[in-house]
Amino acid sequence: MKVLILGGNGMLGPWVIKAMGERHDLLVTDINEKPEGLAHDYLQLSVDDLDGVVRAAEGVDCIVNLSVLRPHRQIAFDVNTRGNYNMMVAARTHNVPRVINTGPHYQLAGPQYEEWDHDLNPDMPPAPGTRLYAHTKALGQEIVRVFAERHGITALTLLYYNMKHTWNLGGPEQEPDYHDDMTPYSTAWPDCGTAIQCAVEVPEERLPSKIETFFVFPDIPHRKFNNDKIMRILGWRPRYHVEALWNKAMRTPPSGRHGAF
Amino acid sequence: MKILIRDGDWWLGEQLAASLGDDGHVTTMVPYSAELGHYEATDELVAGHDAVVILGYNNGPSDESDPSKIIDRSTRQHYNLLHAASEAGVQRCVYVSSLQLFDDYEENLTVTEKWRSLPPTDDVPLLACHLGEIVAKEFARDRLIQVATVRLGFPIIQGDRAAAEASSETAAVSADDAIAAIKEALTSDSLAQWQDIHIQSRVANQRYLMHAAQDLLGIEG
Repeated sequence: MKVLILGGNGMLGPWVIKAMGERHDLLVTDINEKPEGLAHDYLQLSVDDLDGVVRAAEGVDCIVNLSVLRPHRQIAFDVNTRGNYNMMVAARTHNVPRVINTGPHYQLAGPQYEEWDHDLNPDMPPAPGTRLYAHTKALGQEIVRVFAERHGITALTLLYYNMKHTWNLGGPEQEPDYHDDMTPYSTAWPDCGTAIQCAVEVPEERLPSKIETFFVFPDIPHRKFNNDKIMRILGWRPRYHVEALWNKAMRTPPSGRHGAF
Repeated sequence: MKILIRDGDWWLGEQLAASLGDDGHVTTMVPYSAELGHYEATDELVAGHDAVVILGYNNGPSDESDPSKIIDRSTRQHYNLLHAASEAGVQRCVYVSSLQLFDDYEENLTVTEKWRSLPPTDDVPLLACHLGEIVAKEFARDRLIQVATVRLGFPIIQGDRAAAEASSETAAVSADDAIAAIKEALTSDSLAQWQDIHIQSRVANQRYLMHAAQDLLGIEG
């Protein structure tokens, strides 16, 4: 399958490429120059370039949008909202049958849900609120929904929250905090990548509808969020369960390196 | 009241401003060409107003055809405006949208505010108008500002109800009825934190039901 990856050189992109690189023909794009050692086709392209995104999508079987911009008011809308418009125009123009969209959990489960309830699931109506990242991504998601519904495009959205390194269970910007309170929606980076692979490859007949959203995290005991859907429908099986973060019986190794947890 | 009108520099906006002025309100017209960024200029523009009206569709003076710019206006710039308004303590936003978002439902269906809108992809201004509704709704959800989304019938006919009736359009709204509804939405004490309200004129074979307008704004449906 020929797969166009938008925003493929960010935090998540390398893990997606690692999961899919030997299984699919990838065209990786990002706003930056081609990273050293990348063994796939590469195009320097910003997702907010409508014409460029449409051109890049010619002849592909699937578009994966990993692009994201969080803090800057102008660029957040350019990337998170209009980027999805550009992706969907591209999909429609070239009859691309499937798109995979990504975003943060709170583009759907905003504070109105998270601060009040448990068993939050990906089939709830979006309630992002006004936080810039969630809000701009939710608008992008609405664009995906409208195009998918109107034009029969399969649109699968994978939502993430907290990503963890496998070697110490720390996050991108924080040290690991073993045996203490944790984000009850945490996923190891390699598993984040394999979830995208599952979404790209899931047979159409296994999907309840053409527009589906999934929460991406392994089995953890909090029951704050519900991960049943991605296991059941996409058949995703995460390798890491970040157990040292929530189980006091798990010993922290003297080296601080957890390996396969 | 002091009321800011975004994208009001076309005939409906001008008539709205004139009518509000006749009632003793003060209006600030922010034209379609104005760029609302996220810097101090927008904050200063909004400061001191009691309410904001955004004419989210039927932007008369625009011949903009670039979809990126159209979507940018209805998402980022509306966000900037409402962010500034919230920070300045503005109490209410009336977002003026369009019943064209429901045009794909068959005419015989009893469409009300409880029905889900059906935004198109080919009409980018209408899609953008729908996105603008969501921007405003999320500000209401976060309790930052009260939002009434007034969806106007189509076409909008200059003049009074008789003019709308004469158009033979089943979803038409007269300018007089549209302006009356927007003014009621600005001042009504009956609105919730967020409220959709459908407005068209009473014409033969009237297409859209108007229970919310009757109940909340006292407008004859």
